[in-house]
Amino acid sequence: MAQDIGTGSEDANFKMASRPATAPKQPPPESSKSIKTRGLVILSFWAVVVFLGLPVWLWTTSIYRASLPLQDMLDWADGKVFVPNSNAARHALNVLQACKPTFPLQIAIEAPFLQEVEAAHLVRMTQHALDDLNEFSAHHLRLRLKKTFLSQDPQNASMAVTEDEYAAGYLKDYGATDGMDVEALTVRLQPKTGAQAARAELQSHSAKLDVFYASNQAPSVSSSSSTLATFIAGKLQELFAEEQAIIAYILQSAQTMGQASQIALSASSTPRELRPRFHRSLNPELAAKMDSRMTRSLKYAPTYHITVSLFTPSATPSSWEIESALAEYFTPLLDSISGVSNFTVDTQVQLYAAFSPSVQSPEYDTEQQTWTLREEDLSGFINAAEWPLSPSIGAGPTLNFVLYVPDRSTSPLVVKGSRASSWLIPQWGGVVILNPQDTNATSSEATLSKESIQPALLTFSHQLLSFLGAPQTPPSLPLQIQTLTRLRAASLLLSASSTMGSLARLTVALPSIAIPETVSSAVDTTLMHLRTTCDSLKGGKFRDALENARIAEIQAEKGFFEKSMVGQVYFPDEHKIAVYLPLLGPVGVPLLMSALKELRRLWASRKIRQPG
Amino acid sequence: MVIDRRKAILFTSAAALRLVLFFTFPSLPVLLTGRVEISTPVTSFKRLQEGLFLYTHNVSPYDGGVFHQAPLLLPLFALIPPSLFSPLTAILYIGLDLLCANALMHITESGESGSSRLFTSPRKDMKWDSIAVASAYLFNPFTIATCIGRPTSVFTNCAILYAIAQAVSGKPITSMLALGLASYLSLYPALLLPPMILLCYDGKARETKALPNATFSTATYLSVFSASIAWFLHLSKILTGGSTAYLASTYGVHLLLPDLTPNVGLWWYFFIEMFDSFREFFLGVFWLHLGAYVGALCIRLRTQPLFVITTLLGIFAIFKPYPSISDTSLYLAMLPLYRHVFPLMRYTFFAMATILYATLLGPAFYYLWIYAGSGNANFFYAITLVWSLGLSEIVADSLFAVLRDEWEVERPEMKGKDVRQI
Repeated sequence: MAQDIGTGSEDANFKMASRPATAPKQPPPESSKSIKTRGLVILSFWAVVVFLGLPVWLWTTSIYRASLPLQDMLDWADGKVFVPNSNAARHALNVLQACKPTFPLQIAIEAPFLQEVEAAHLVRMTQHALDDLNEFSAHHLRLRLKKTFLSQDPQNASMAVTEDEYAAGYLKDYGATDGMDVEALTVRLQPKTGAQAARAELQSHSAKLDVFYASNQAPSVSSSSSTLATFIAGKLQELFAEEQAIIAYILQSAQTMGQASQIALSASSTPRELRPRFHRSLNPELAAKMDSRMTRSLKYAPTYHITVSLFTPSATPSSWEIESALAEYFTPLLDSISGVSNFTVDTQVQLYAAFSPSVQSPEYDTEQQTWTLREEDLSGFINAAEWPLSPSIGAGPTLNFVLYVPDRSTSPLVVKGSRASSWLIPQWGGVVILNPQDTNATSSEATLSKESIQPALLTFSHQLLSFLGAPQTPPSLPLQIQTLTRLRAASLLLSASSTMGSLARLTVALPSIAIPETVSSAVDTTLMHLRTTCDSLKGGKFRDALENARIAEIQAEKGFFEKSMVGQVYFPDEHKIAVYLPLLGPVGVPLLMSALKELRRLWASRKIRQPG
Repeated sequence: MVIDRRKAILFTSAAALRLVLFFTFPSLPVLLTGRVEISTPVTSFKRLQEGLFLYTHNVSPYDGGVFHQAPLLLPLFALIPPSLFSPLTAILYIGLDLLCANALMHITESGESGSSRLFTSPRKDMKWDSIAVASAYLFNPFTIATCIGRPTSVFTNCAILYAIAQAVSGKPITSMLALGLASYLSLYPALLLPPMILLCYDGKARETKALPNATFSTATYLSVFSASIAWFLHLSKILTGGSTAYLASTYGVHLLLPDLTPNVGLWWYFFIEMFDSFREFFLGVFWLHLGAYVGALCIRLRTQPLFVITTLLGIFAIFKPYPSISDTSLYLAMLPLYRHVFPLMRYTFFAMATILYATLLGPAFYYLWIYAGSGNANFFYAITLVWSLGLSEIVADSLFAVLRDEWEVERPEMKGKDVRQI
């Protein structure tokens, strides 16, 4: 504005007309006062920019990055930490950090009818036989002789021993939270007269294996081998074969993922060394089975929601005694696996539920006198468009269990071929077709009784276990739940560790993202719980391990998905120009130019003054 | 008593016009109170009523995040009996307008705009008399609309005008107290402190015919200003039950702009579009931009501090966080004091046409966006850009005119010739 006035001149036309172009009229010199004022004005603008603008800029655009234990996080995520064979020397540097998930299972042997020395000898030999059989060192069984009162009193010992204890079963023990796990399995050795060979019986509601042997099979202290020992070892190995396979599979897939992510970094020979070992323990058939098991089971969540629905194409049955049936047949199972995950349950009834148009209506099979559904139609059996099966009701993922009661005119209804009446839809839920018991009964059965729902609920229980990833064998429920605990602990440990690794790599790769304090504390919590998990696994405290692994997983996810971290991601430095320039450019150019002009004037006046 | 009779007629007719508008069109106040051009989140009368309701029911008025105005307004409005609330507030606002006009007349009569202590304009005889200036304020449609819409910015405007009036008549203490009240009510008048100190100093010097000690005067004015602010803040603290939570919901709102309700200013749209991570930075930039003019204008126009204040009021009306037409009406009230430089302004027709255009199209575009749904936010924002363009045209042009007027004192031979950049 100062220049505007100061350099004012006459009318241009007048000038052009009156003077030759060679001698342009110079404006009169500015007064020193106006020059000084102009300098001060420019200075006052620049003072605001420098003393207020710059601090504001630095203060508001600085990115807060809390420090993270990057090396620890990467170590956890690195496959090398989880090398399941014992070449620890190779990774001597990581020994302090390294967590090798091991699964030492305690197995108690009760031998009330054997002398203590004999029994101890038998346990030793069985342990030897087991160690020979076991190929997978991370998962191993440790036998322990349990001293029982019965050894002093052999006469009274019988099968009648403490039936109560059996009935109360494993579930009660499991619910206890003393930290130290009970034995994974108790083996009771009992002589049986007249038996030719040893025989084993697994209790289906407790973690007990009864082994009956012929009296002559009882090993003497002197003998170096015993058929009984070999038999027990073989039996135990058989019981835990599937669990071992699954754990090996989990570790291997984590291993290959870890290797794939760092294959470019190091040409480690570890994978080649490991492959054959794994392949021996994991034949292709088993691996395929594992794969299908993995696709079927749900991703881990701390809470699942279960919806039990009754669908019928007609008006009956219109009610069911689901509350009491659930309480009796289903809730005990949920309670017993509450250590793994929590569940919420709701139920619904839907009448006049029609098939979707793509499904062929059932055909009548005259030979079997049944109505049949084609197997191809099973996937479309659930009429997703019309049946009210909301994908998510509660906090976690939803599991749907559908009880379908066919119309009397099309009953009994079964699946063609296999003649099954229930099936499982991977990642979604299970379906059971409940055919009325007698087709001729009067149609007054508007209510399904508790008893008639029972088989369906039992099927649902099985389906639930397989959704959670429990193994098919052994048939004992407590053992399955134990296995599930170990599997979940291992997979959560691996997934939380790999999340840590991803977070660390993300932090390194994007130096411009903010890392708030919450992320740092989540990482610390995760690492602490990972360490505890690892120690608990080593000590055989699998419930503790799972508990810690769950916390670790939740904290890891919380840290990784922290919202405020991603805000800055979209602004790499070159994009910031686009943010700053449109406003600051037009303001900055005059400021800069006037400052330059002023500096040049100062420079020139100093030059003039110096010689003079 | 000729002058007084004219003044009486002017004030009576202005009050009558407002009373007629208030009472013959009962829906008009309600309509205008809701207009975004008049009511901003920090001045809205509706929000004041909400805060008042909470206050009279012994709830903290700042609960609920609707009320963002100074706490001292509450006991004032709580005095009005609820049965007569509407007519009495109408009379209160009419009274405020008349007070403003009275202050303007004082300022005009002091002659500060034509000849200040350090500068006397060669054109000073062309100025309007106080009645003309006051009527230009009282019959300005923006002022009337503001009065009917009853935003609390009228209190701020009145305090600012009184601060100026007291300053030019050589009463710096009362001037600083009034400026303290204005700053307490709306925060931004605090930026007027440097030119106001200069004006007070000049006024005092003219009054006493001797130069007071500059450092001592400045220190006195500053301490009076700070003391008045501190006193008001202390009273507010007592009123709100001893907590300082009101600071965040009054001045915090001015500074951090959490409420992005549209208004005639430039901030709301910019901060709707702004990326969150740069929000704080650009809040800083916008506030610094607002403040950056103060120092430069004070230096360049040291001889005419009243014009610095006028220009700053114009700049605030464009660039402050929650501007409304009430701020424009304040600027347009001050501008006629410089009637004598109007002939030097070059773009008056363009600026006036722009302002008129924006005034007429603004409500129409707002209707299209909010009610008809056939427009979008850009419609309204575009028209507020035009409005701001018109206002800044007037600000720049008047600044040019004053500088040219100053320059012609220095070089009388150039009078009447065009300016050309070489």
